[in-house]
Amino acid sequence: MFDYIIIGAGIIGSMVARELSKYECKVLVVEKENDVANVQTLANSAIIHAAYNPEPGSLKAILNIKGNYMYDQLEKELDIPILRCGAYVVAYNEIEENELDRLADIAAQNGVPEFSVLSYSEAFKKEPNLSSNVTKVLSLPTTKVTYPWEVAFAAMENAIKNGVNLKLNYQVTGIKKTNDYFEVEINNQDIINSKYLINAAGVSSDDIAKLIEKQPKFLIKGRKGEYFVIDRRYGDFVNHVIYPLPTEAGKGVLVTPQVHGEVLLGPNSIWVDDKNHPTTTFEGLKYVKDHSKTLINNIPYDRIIRSFAGVRASSNHEDFYIKESEEVKGLYHLGGIESPGLSAAPAIAEYLVNEIMQVNNKYELNKSYNPIRKKPIPYYDLDENKQKELYAANNLYGRIICKCERITEKEIIDAIHGTLGSSTIKGIKKRTRAGAGLCQGGYCEEKVMKIIARELNVSPLEVAYDKKESKLFTSETKVVKK
Amino acid sequence: MIDIVVIGAGAGGLAAAITAKEKNKKVLLIERESTLGGILNQCIHNGFGLEVFKEEYTGPEYAHRYIEKLISLKIDYLLDTTVTKLEKLSEKFIITMTSEEEGIKKIEAKSVILTSGCYERTRGHISMPGDRPKGVFNAGSAQRYLNINGYMVGKKVFILGSGDIGLIMARRMTLEGAEVLGVAEIMSYSNGLNRNIVQCLIDFDIPLFLSHTVTNVIADENNNLKEIIIQEVDNNFNPMINTEKHFFVDTLLLSIGLIPDITLLDELSVKVDPKTKSVEVNQAYETSVRGLFVSGNSLQVHDLVDNVTKESERAGLCAVEYLNKENNEAEEIRILAGSNIGYVTPQRLDFSWNSSLIISFRTNKKMEKAICKVIQDDKVVYKKRLMFLVPAEMETISFDYQILNRTSDIKVVLEELS
Ligand SMILES: Cc1cc2nc3c(=O)[nH]c(=O)nc-3n(C[C@H](O)[C@H](O)[C@H](O)COP(=O)(O)OP(=O)(O)OC[C@H]3O[C@@H](n4cnc5c(N)ncnc54)[C@H](O)[C@@H]3O)c2cc1C
Repeated sequence: MFDYIIIGAGIIGSMVARELSKYECKVLVVEKENDVANVQTLANSAIIHAAYNPEPGSLKAILNIKGNYMYDQLEKELDIPILRCGAYVVAYNEIEENELDRLADIAAQNGVPEFSVLSYSEAFKKEPNLSSNVTKVLSLPTTKVTYPWEVAFAAMENAIKNGVNLKLNYQVTGIKKTNDYFEVEINNQDIINSKYLINAAGVSSDDIAKLIEKQPKFLIKGRKGEYFVIDRRYGDFVNHVIYPLPTEAGKGVLVTPQVHGEVLLGPNSIWVDDKNHPTTTFEGLKYVKDHSKTLINNIPYDRIIRSFAGVRASSNHEDFYIKESEEVKGLYHLGGIESPGLSAAPAIAEYLVNEIMQVNNKYELNKSYNPIRKKPIPYYDLDENKQKELYAANNLYGRIICKCERITEKEIIDAIHGTLGSSTIKGIKKRTRAGAGLCQGGYCEEKVMKIIARELNVSPLEVAYDKKESKLFTSETKVVKK
Repeated sequence: MIDIVVIGAGAGGLAAAITAKEKNKKVLLIERESTLGGILNQCIHNGFGLEVFKEEYTGPEYAHRYIEKLISLKIDYLLDTTVTKLEKLSEKFIITMTSEEEGIKKIEAKSVILTSGCYERTRGHISMPGDRPKGVFNAGSAQRYLNINGYMVGKKVFILGSGDIGLIMARRMTLEGAEVLGVAEIMSYSNGLNRNIVQCLIDFDIPLFLSHTVTNVIADENNNLKEIIIQEVDNNFNPMINTEKHFFVDTLLLSIGLIPDITLLDELSVKVDPKTKSVEVNQAYETSVRGLFVSGNSLQVHDLVDNVTKESERAGLCAVEYLNKENNEAEEIRILAGSNIGYVTPQRLDFSWNSSLIISFRTNKKMEKAICKVIQDDKVVYKKRLMFLVPAEMETISFDYQILNRTSDIKVVLEELS
């Protein structure tokens, strides 16, 4: 019997797991995908917003402000990358300038620690490609950018080190509650029991509710966003996150520098019926291109290396829906965790665990809790002496596998065998960035495939791109091999 | 100190190293793979060497001719070694490399020839919409899996782009028992060599859809490719409604262009030509950094390996000339791409060099007959009649540049003849 089962290993499930690992309780995280952070947490803008637009007093506002602040501590504890680039919200005319002043007001009410309104010429000095149609700018220095799935990995790894269990490829397919515990059905077969249940299933969180509630109090409506990625080698045309004014459809198409130097263009905002199936379209990508142009000049569109889409878990509530179920005691919902979900994630976890669930009144503190997690070694960012030292200890640091991102064989091997090891092409890319660069794996995929096969002692025919059914190869060739 | 370091041991690097060594220079060839020969190793079809050897070889056979020569000349080479950084300090280059055997190592050289080849454009580079399943491969990557590793990436195949690798792979996959349902090309003409259209598509009844592109990629529940949709495009390359064709395939191969790989030059701030997406060079293949040469597919994407060899042999000789050259003051004019010309290399002509001038260019329009003119100060200084020009085929012209004045730029133009 577990004390808590957390459904979903996105950034929210991972942060909640880590928060719970501070207590003496038995926690299991079940995730339907073959990896942590494979859904919303894999496809978003990666921004830790300043909280300049959520309704004052709302959970979105309170938890975003707090989450933004908490990331500074997490950076030290979890060794996660953070880019402190700040943001500019831009206005194009007098009407928009009034709206900008209103946002500044909201920022003040929300307690954003630093912000200021700049004239075009002031902003232009710091952002030389800013469109000359911009008339005024709201500057938000506390806006930062992170690497979302790395944050989820870090939190989950740390939770595992502190005693949490994680099961991948575990899809919750049924939930029953007897008098005092939950029976959670996995993959239509096994049953696992727990005293409490936490629904952190992102876009599927209403489906989880429907498994046990007659009248769920929230409903998820998928809202898709599409993006372009610009090669990191050409990312220096912009210095800040650039937002247009927010509309009902969200924060709009942005231009966002990333921690490794790439720049994201996007997202658009489109309601979709199939919330489990993010896909890019010709029209959607065109919209992103046309709108990003209005913010910044000299965007190197010819240096785009990738496009992708994500689906936001928007709900029929304006605010996050973080509550105990009204129908079923002991079931806790984290519904409608759309933006600023990433920004608020650590604060959401703390709010749920301490204020809603009051875990501190139920369980003792975990005395051996250690908040520290060390990131995998990024060999090529180190200075040469350190590199030589590492090579002396293991000469596989000498062999480059991904030529674009300069990822060595040792790093690939570590990613396969680490705490949250992965043996798929996509999993290795998420962990090491091998294949994330200019040639998008054209060069290194074959090498990564061979290393996976060797390390797992399987035939290359067994190596999967993503899900285990998505094998890279269908058969051997007719050629007789030596 | 080494005289000439050659980076990349494909067709270009082999040729450059050999010519430099034949002039008794101290040469070192560096290759990141564990074999010499580069991309030729996976090109097991024939069609190589007709121009250089007047004989038809497969890729590995062609490479072998040069590898033998390299070995007989006792040229130093390193395998499994990746160059990670190239710097220039006053008159010498510092080359940083890494290998499993030796770790990080630095060497010095008087001059460097970069022959690092090219990489394939991916779906990201053309913003192809749709899902992101397994089953979308670069044609060259699939070719490597097939010919080097011995694995098939799929059984029902569609190919986007009629570049040569795509055409060759259409035939190769068919011979291996896969079904190739078609090839789509966004342009109104094919980008491959004519002989490949005939031998790889027509001979196997594989349809070619000109002015079409892939507008959707659909995955199954396991994230494997299950379907693609192609559409006809208008003159602005926008897909036209009601032209959708569906193909149920497990593999989409992309043969949508090659880009010179010059990422190694990032730290050197070398002048780049947006048209070739490579560096600008003078007629000696020297970049804006003195003593740094680029040739082969890392300079411009060639359709025939024979031309890579010839160009790199010249680059090798020019690097030798550089080592003996006393006058390093450039005396330059520019070579500009005029009407109907996609790009030209070299982009500069430097009168301080002895090396001859060979201008390569591509037409950006299909033409039956044309006249190519070189113009300086409104005067035609050279002209040549050309037949059957297509963007897929590189053209070259050569003339004695001593007839030019040394102050005005020259322009290459193509005039269509009816
Ligand atoms: C386009 C886009 C842009 C965004 N930009 C930002 C931004 O810049 N800043 C910001 O703060 N926020 C942003 N967000 C929001 C942020 O990404 C999300 O709020 C956050 O990632 C949500 O995390 P999560 O863990 O709730 O969801 P997810 O990451 O989706 O995790 C839910 C997990 O539950 C699992 N699951 C579902 N059903 C089951 C089941 N039955 N059994 C087991 N497991 C199950 C899923 O597989 C998934 O792994 C953006 C979102 C999108 C889509």
